[in-house]
Amino acid sequence: MYAIKFLRKQPLRLVFTIGGIALCVILMLFLFSVYGGVADGSVKYIRENKVDLWVLQRNATNILRGTSFLSTGHGSVLKSIEGVEVAAPVLFVLVTVKKEGKESTVYLTGYDPLTGPGGPPEIVAGRSVRSDDEIVLDRSFAAKFGYALGDDVLINDETLVVVGLSGGTNAFVIQYAFITLQKAREVIGFSGIVTCFLLRIHDSYDAATVAETIRDELPGLEVYTHDVFLRNNIREMEAGFLPLLYTIASIGAIVLTVILSMLLSINIIERRKDFAVIKTLGAPIRFLNNAIIIQACGISLAGCAAGLILFFPMVTVIEKLSPEVSTKTSVFQIITIVVVVIIIALISSWFSLRRLRRIYPLEAFT
Amino acid sequence: MVFAAEIETDIPSGGIHMNNVAERNNVFEIKGVTKIFNGESTRTFAVRDVSLKAGEGEFIILMGPSGSGKTTLLTMIAGLVSANEGTVHIFGKNITHYTQRELQKIRAERIGFIFQNFHLIDSLTVLENISLVQHFSGTGRTHTRLHGMELLRSFKMECHAHKFPQQLSQGEKQRVAVARAIINNPRLIIADEPTASLESRQGFEIINLLNNYKKDHRACVIAASHDIRLKRYADRVVWMEDGYIKVD
Repeated sequence: MYAIKFLRKQPLRLVFTIGGIALCVILMLFLFSVYGGVADGSVKYIRENKVDLWVLQRNATNILRGTSFLSTGHGSVLKSIEGVEVAAPVLFVLVTVKKEGKESTVYLTGYDPLTGPGGPPEIVAGRSVRSDDEIVLDRSFAAKFGYALGDDVLINDETLVVVGLSGGTNAFVIQYAFITLQKAREVIGFSGIVTCFLLRIHDSYDAATVAETIRDELPGLEVYTHDVFLRNNIREMEAGFLPLLYTIASIGAIVLTVILSMLLSINIIERRKDFAVIKTLGAPIRFLNNAIIIQACGISLAGCAAGLILFFPMVTVIEKLSPEVSTKTSVFQIITIVVVVIIIALISSWFSLRRLRRIYPLEAFT
Repeated sequence: MVFAAEIETDIPSGGIHMNNVAERNNVFEIKGVTKIFNGESTRTFAVRDVSLKAGEGEFIILMGPSGSGKTTLLTMIAGLVSANEGTVHIFGKNITHYTQRELQKIRAERIGFIFQNFHLIDSLTVLENISLVQHFSGTGRTHTRLHGMELLRSFKMECHAHKFPQQLSQGEKQRVAVARAIINNPRLIIADEPTASLESRQGFEIINLLNNYKKDHRACVIAASHDIRLKRYADRVVWMEDGYIKVD
């Protein structure tokens, strides 16, 4: 493997290059993992609350970045529509939590714990709320602000006791908290409003037909099936996050291309005479092309391996230091990154091969 | 010196397996070759209307002042530089219109090169430097290593096989360079100032190695040199000046 042997005279530079590539790999993988965590935390609430229909104010398409106000009276009408088994009201409101002079914001979710859906998708410690003076906090929010089961939480002068911690409720920029619907109304000071209704339909009825009936009887409302509503929220989450992800990942990819191209080009420039000699001695074009491509791919794969080895311990440390950072890494993400890095290696090789072609065998005789 | 009769050169390019009479005797032949290097505002005649031929078992030394065209002539014989006028035949073939791929194949398989400053690859060991040339000619890895070690043994250099060039003396480096040049048993060795970086004793040692190879393999050696002491080893001394051959 002459290609790799040609690199062994600059071990320090090689280590720095592999380190640089590893950092780029970590950066890109971290972004994808954070995206995975955000995607999971943003919509797991919706995914796990498996109801047949979501009813919101007209023109509201999602709960992440949309506003919907409905009156409690809508609930009575919905329940009276043929085929509707359950119409559970849920109220979402952003509130400030105060603790020891520090303020933070949670996405407060008021629901009826006795009769309806709308509660936390997963309880990781304690239990769900049963009474109006209780609250379930997202576990990363609780970790970040030092809340434990049994602690008091002060929200808009209302004191609530932490009875449970939830999982899958960290949307990165905001975390969910769960209280009773009644307490949520008290917190905001309006008694007759909800954000949406979660509907369960009798088995013998078709959800689409019921939705059509609701649209006819309540023209000011919008009705979505579970899948459509989930897709709406995912799209909204991606619209907010993906541009940032793509921008930073693109910067990482450009940096990676520059690092690799520079290393390969500097190696060619410094060893210009060697390449001229190799050409004079009769090196086939294929040998030289392969040497550069193998060097680029070898360095890149070494960088990927180093990045992956460092990534998981690093993420563990980050999640301990900043609990609100929730990541989710998949094999698909890793394969994607490796493929991207190899493509970048090939692009870098192309730049370097252009430089190599401008070295003439005659230079060996000077 | 016996040369074969003049041969026509319209043999298809790409065919480099030669076994005719002409090839056995005539290693290279250049006819009326001129090379001009064009600068931004100048034209330099590096070689002017030069004709030269050499056969098997010949040791030719090209001498002359700096800038006389010796190195340019060597590179033209090697097919590294194309002539503006004239033709270049190697092993009975007109290589004037050969493709780069065909020329590369000839250089890898049938020509050995020795450079003034050795030009060993620093990042490769002695054995790898030698084996590299065989690798270019398509020989398998195991064979190249075995052959390389065998050659180093014959040069009494086997203890240096896994050293890097910078760990060797000047004389040792040039012996490795000679080993690299002859590993493929080439019929033509092109040497550019092979003794210039060496002390006298080392220089003679290298010339002896080349001379022995020439005799044993009936190869042709052509070397550009300023070293007048090498004259006694040469079968022919060609004097170049201002791009012309003055004395042959």
